[in-house]
Amino acid sequence: MRIVIAEDAAVIRAGLAEVLADRGHQVVAAVGDAGALQAAVAAHQPDAAVIDVRMPPGYTDEGLRAAIAIRRDHPKTGILVFSQYVETRYAADLLAAGSGGVGYLLKDRVANVAEFTDAIERVAAGGTALDPEVVAGLLNASRHPSALGTLTAREHDILALMAEGRSNSAIAARLRVSDRAVEKHIGNIFSKLGLPRSDTDHRRVLAVLAYLGS
Amino acid sequence: MLTAPFSRRSWKAAGYLLVNVPLAVAGFVFAVITAIPPLLAVSAPGVRAFGDANRGLARELLGEDEPDLPPPPGKASWRERGYLVLKLPLAVAGLAVAGVCWLLGLFLLTFPAWWTLLTHALPTGQEELHTCRHGVCTTVPVGSPVPTHNFQFLVSASGLGSVNLAHYPFEVALFGAVLLLTAPWLTRAVTRADQSLMLRLLGPASLADRVRALQETRAHAVDDSAARLRGIERDLHDGTQAQLVALAMKLGLAKEKLSTATPDDLARVTQLVDDAHRGAIEAIGDLRVLARGIHPPVLDNGLTDALATLAARSAVPVELVTDIPDRPSPAIETIAYFSAAELLTNVAKHSGARHVTLEAVHVPGLLRIRVSDDGRGGARLAPRGGLAGLAGRVRTVDGRLIISSPPGGPTVVTVELPSHA
Repeated sequence: MRIVIAEDAAVIRAGLAEVLADRGHQVVAAVGDAGALQAAVAAHQPDAAVIDVRMPPGYTDEGLRAAIAIRRDHPKTGILVFSQYVETRYAADLLAAGSGGVGYLLKDRVANVAEFTDAIERVAAGGTALDPEVVAGLLNASRHPSALGTLTAREHDILALMAEGRSNSAIAARLRVSDRAVEKHIGNIFSKLGLPRSDTDHRRVLAVLAYLGS
Repeated sequence: MLTAPFSRRSWKAAGYLLVNVPLAVAGFVFAVITAIPPLLAVSAPGVRAFGDANRGLARELLGEDEPDLPPPPGKASWRERGYLVLKLPLAVAGLAVAGVCWLLGLFLLTFPAWWTLLTHALPTGQEELHTCRHGVCTTVPVGSPVPTHNFQFLVSASGLGSVNLAHYPFEVALFGAVLLLTAPWLTRAVTRADQSLMLRLLGPASLADRVRALQETRAHAVDDSAARLRGIERDLHDGTQAQLVALAMKLGLAKEKLSTATPDDLARVTQLVDDAHRGAIEAIGDLRVLARGIHPPVLDNGLTDALATLAARSAVPVELVTDIPDRPSPAIETIAYFSAAELLTNVAKHSGARHVTLEAVHVPGLLRIRVSDDGRGGARLAPRGGLAGLAGRVRTVDGRLIISSPPGGPTVVTVELPSHA
């Protein structure tokens, strides 16, 4: 895959490039601020962009806003945004666009090479990748504790993994169960929570998240 | 109460009024002559010095009545100059009032004594009196002894119109005694007036002004503190955290490679671990610098050691002169240290100086830090500039920043801080 990196700390930029290259991806551009990011994406039309939320000049959420703009202007480019702290607002803003190809990870997560590369591949393919901490926060803060309480522990785990944007097979592999078992559990979850069935993984994520956020 | 006129306090008060007048004259002349614009700024220290002299005199001679006034912050103001001007009439009037009380009281009290002495010691007529007045001599037959014409003046003076005081020596003496006894109270009233003028004009401005000043400096202190915390968070985020994330990525890759463990990858793994190790060492170094920027541990040993460390680290050679027999409070030491650090950095960055002197002197109540360099000068207190921030920080503890930096140099920047915040 062809990837653009936007991160102002040089050491992290270099580290990210190294990890991606190791996995066989091609880093077409590595930039340090939001303006250069937009220009690079326009010039190279990458499959995905890895973007730090906080960049110069303001060091607030320049990266996030650039990511949302890229999503709008270049629908084929997946965006994986990462930040130092979990900010549920950022996740909400990113998902508000409604389409797939969006991810939000904690910077700590990039240290796990497998998870990081899995996330970026999912995002490039049009799926979703939410940090488990973000999902845990949403589950905790949900206003449907009674309904969630009807889920079994296994269903609870599956719900969380679904919210992260993982596919059925990925969930099955993770929990070491069969794909069919996963499908059965998901059917139960959706009926217990009263959620409509969705066709794509991404719509599923949105449905779950909408439920949790409502 | 009867001994009041003779108490030490009364003598000291009287002495105060005496010395007051020449001092008041000098102060008045100085204040008025230098009240023209070109001399205003230059004479400010002189005005302050006169104020201090007056305060000192009051403290010495008026003793326990004198409230302890700290000098107002900043340079000598119009209020202090006004005090010197108003002081003269007050001093003269005070001396006059007290003088009349004391002297007249004494005069009248002893009136019978010296009156009798005069009348008996001097030649008098018994039956007749030759009196010469305006060159006309007449003979006056009188029954009681009266003084000769030489003392006609005295008689007229003490005559008080048509009343001949000589006939009421006891009453006169009594009046004198009363005057003498009330003299100390009158003197005290006069010195009180002087002190109250001193309090109003030489002391700190009204309470409202002081409160306003405190609010301003507090706001500055709060903003400064918040900005520092933001700076620390940014340094940690961009520095240490970034380094640790990069480190974790390298080690993560190395871990992966090791799990597959093919020989080709071994060189790669070694390289990765090597990079990670170097990164960790750099992170430790950066964190050390960061922590020192928050609070340098050497400061716990005192300013002398801490400034020596600063001097050693400076790019420009520093001559260090310290005289700190007692330590000021820790907060003051911290402010002094960071002020000196900032000033030395300014010298290294902007002045092009070859030599710097860093002086730190602690006299009772005051800590003075002075940085002098032989660079190109021109240091300005620009709004939002570094020196303005330093001045604000210093002012929050009622300190001062004094800059002397003519273009072409040399530059001398002085920070004065109280011993305790």
